[in-house]
Amino acid sequence: MKLFYAPEGRLRLTMEDRSHLDVVPAWAAPRTHPDRYLSLLDSKGKEILMLERLEDAGADNVEVLRQELRRRYLYSQVRRVNAVRMEFGATYWSVETDRGHRDFVTQSLQENAQWIDEEFLLLIDVEGNHYQVKPVSALDPDSLRRLRSVV
Amino acid sequence: MQTASLTPGGASAPEIPLIDVTSDLDEDGLYGVRRLVVTATEVTVSTPTGVPTCRIALSDIAKARHDPLVSGGRMIVTLKNGVIIPVVNYSLAVSEKFSEVARGIEQLSQGEELSIDMHDELKRCPKCDRLLPEKDGPCPVCVNRSKTLWRIFGFLKPYSRATTMLVAGSVCTTALNLIPPYIQKQLVDGFTSKSLETSGLLQWMALWLGLALAGSGLQIFNGRLMTYLATHISKDLRASTYRAIEYLSMKYFDRKPVGAIASRVTQDTDRVWHFLVDGFPFFITNSLMALGVIGFLFSIDAVLAAAILVPIPFILLISVRYWKPISNMFFKVSQRMARLHMQLNESLSGIRVVKAFVSEDREFKRFDERNKAWQQAAMQADQKWYTAFGMMTFAASLGALINWTVGGMFVLQGRLTLGEFIMVNSLLIMVYGPMQWFAQVNNWFSRAMAGAERIFEVMDMTPESNRELERTLDIRGDVTFDAVRFGYDKSNPVLKNMSFDVKAGEMIGFVGRSGAGKSSTINLICRFYEPDGGRILVDGVPLNEINIANYRSQIGIVLQEPFLFNGTIAENIAYGKPDASLEEIMVAARAANAHDFIVSKPDGYDSIVGERGVQLSGGEKQRISIARAILHNPRILILDEATSSVDVETERQIQEAIGRLVEGRTTFAIAHRLSTLRNANRLIVLERGEIVEMGTHEELMQRRGVFCNLVETQRAVTEIIGVGN
Repeated sequence: MKLFYAPEGRLRLTMEDRSHLDVVPAWAAPRTHPDRYLSLLDSKGKEILMLERLEDAGADNVEVLRQELRRRYLYSQVRRVNAVRMEFGATYWSVETDRGHRDFVTQSLQENAQWIDEEFLLLIDVEGNHYQVKPVSALDPDSLRRLRSVV
Repeated sequence: MQTASLTPGGASAPEIPLIDVTSDLDEDGLYGVRRLVVTATEVTVSTPTGVPTCRIALSDIAKARHDPLVSGGRMIVTLKNGVIIPVVNYSLAVSEKFSEVARGIEQLSQGEELSIDMHDELKRCPKCDRLLPEKDGPCPVCVNRSKTLWRIFGFLKPYSRATTMLVAGSVCTTALNLIPPYIQKQLVDGFTSKSLETSGLLQWMALWLGLALAGSGLQIFNGRLMTYLATHISKDLRASTYRAIEYLSMKYFDRKPVGAIASRVTQDTDRVWHFLVDGFPFFITNSLMALGVIGFLFSIDAVLAAAILVPIPFILLISVRYWKPISNMFFKVSQRMARLHMQLNESLSGIRVVKAFVSEDREFKRFDERNKAWQQAAMQADQKWYTAFGMMTFAASLGALINWTVGGMFVLQGRLTLGEFIMVNSLLIMVYGPMQWFAQVNNWFSRAMAGAERIFEVMDMTPESNRELERTLDIRGDVTFDAVRFGYDKSNPVLKNMSFDVKAGEMIGFVGRSGAGKSSTINLICRFYEPDGGRILVDGVPLNEINIANYRSQIGIVLQEPFLFNGTIAENIAYGKPDASLEEIMVAARAANAHDFIVSKPDGYDSIVGERGVQLSGGEKQRISIARAILHNPRILILDEATSSVDVETERQIQEAIGRLVEGRTTFAIAHRLSTLRNANRLIVLERGEIVEMGTHEELMQRRGVFCNLVETQRAVTEIIGVGN
């Protein structure tokens, strides 16, 4: 199999004699099995094949896949918590993520701060954007203290 | 990679931007600012420093669309030569806006007039720059307090007499409370100087008794008055909020989860009335009291008064310092409790599955974990609270210590009489008592204001249009769709340019795969939504000129999953005609083939159904729902796949009932089972929001097009299932 952008900006998967345009990579269980079980869907949403590991795609294709995944999954990983303030039921966050600095606000932490497991906290802001804190214990002590003060 | 300079001449003369928006992600998916500008000739995306990352001539564009990604999206443009170009990335924060922009670009590229909703949503509070919890919503920190406050007090208006009496009563209570310390002073000074005689003592005591009686009477009176006001205002607030919500358009209900809407009716109104009946009187009474007492103290001895009041700033400080973390902690406790509740609810309602999979131990473990988590949080919160409370108590007792030290010295020096000293001591308690709560008043107040703001927002929202229109119509039943365009989210049209004519009394079947636009068409006929373009006419009259309540009262709906309200079967059948007699109800039930199973229930028509009532099978619910529609006697009837997942005999009965129901009414039916649509006069076949075929069952079968294909696929599937059995 071969994955490449052709024409530009459109992911194409060629396998033996067949070629699929506008291929969409989709994680089967991104929260519990990150980096495993990647489904490749055709433009109609039908699965072409499933990769158990990214590397199974072959060295040439992995980079293309990573690029496409990064573009498709706009989650961000929280690296540092600069400030958290809870006021009147809304929580105001200022964080550093793998995508850069971000300020956001979450409402009702009861629904929008979800512990996926002991080490994985998912924050969902008022617009529905996802911010992952994982692993929680890897945060620096200050960030951890700020985080613990609200969740 | 995304730089595509396709304008023939390169840079064009500066033009007026028709669309000018900013995204929050750069080409590499990092948070950054990209500005997208559309002029009459081209689309340009550039960095904050003005470096273009993408530039496309409008004349080259064939299509522009929003490509939804996980937690964001990107805009994709298809050029006329087939090349597809990703233009700009954005997070969910602005995706709605960009999907509008995509539509706008498409309109412009096709030479149409630009008609998109580019209303700029407010994300940050213009005053304090805080992010807003809801776009365009109120900032909880700086809502216009005085205006909102004034409006809240508007709810007191019908009770102005009671309110005035309450305020007057509170002032009197304050004044009465100040007198006993004065009596104490008179008595003690009388004792020490031996100038008081028994008769004088008794006179003072009689006065004190009178005051105590009057004070208690006033307290009872105030309490009763307060309760009267509290319950009435609470009731009024909830009623007006609910009423406002009821009349909002379906779009509002699509956007907001039911829980969030319900909390406006219950929690937000609660916050407001708590403030009105607890917070506000508390604040007024205690402020008056504090001011009165402090003034009194200074009039006795300024130095002593100043000394006594020294700990007060400390109390306020402790209160301010601890309030935030403690309230956060209590918030966490309620959060944990809610999680425990959720777990309990889930495992109990799924108890059958729990037992079947022998997972009692696992469920108990999960329950226990959450239970422990609650215990931890509750313990920490309460312990912290007691610590803060202890510190405040200490600061308050300092007041007494200072009084005994400084005041005591003054008594020894003869600067103060013993009576005055006793009076000061009594007054002291009155200042220190409410002081520890004062720091919270602001917070209390702000919460109430935010709640009120949310309530008023709903009340101020435009209700469904045409509720006020006076034009009514006795519907005959002709329905016309004239180039109707519609989408729940405007950038993503579900119905495109749909036109058809239906004569009164005709039965129309909508056919198509799920997502083809069948339900959306029905929603438009019911006027749950407004079309984005085109017109819908009933008997030649545009729908938006008819009073909506009048129109809907002539429409009947039999839904896929019939909704039964808590109540008797008879009440449910008569939902559209509450004054119907039992005879009428029975006639309808017989016509719906529902009578027999109803009377065989122990309570017959009086059987309670709904959440806590008797269990009805799917087929029974459907027939009750059909009876409801028959009794309602609508001119236009909507059938949303009334026969699904029932046995053959039940289906026959339902079909028979429907046959009676549709007679003489314009009927629109959706059914996945194509055979059930045989009775339809005409079928409309939909595909991706467009009509692809229209005609009778026979005509369509002969045409051997989309419909025929669907029928044959379904037949094949049925046969396979048949063999499998």
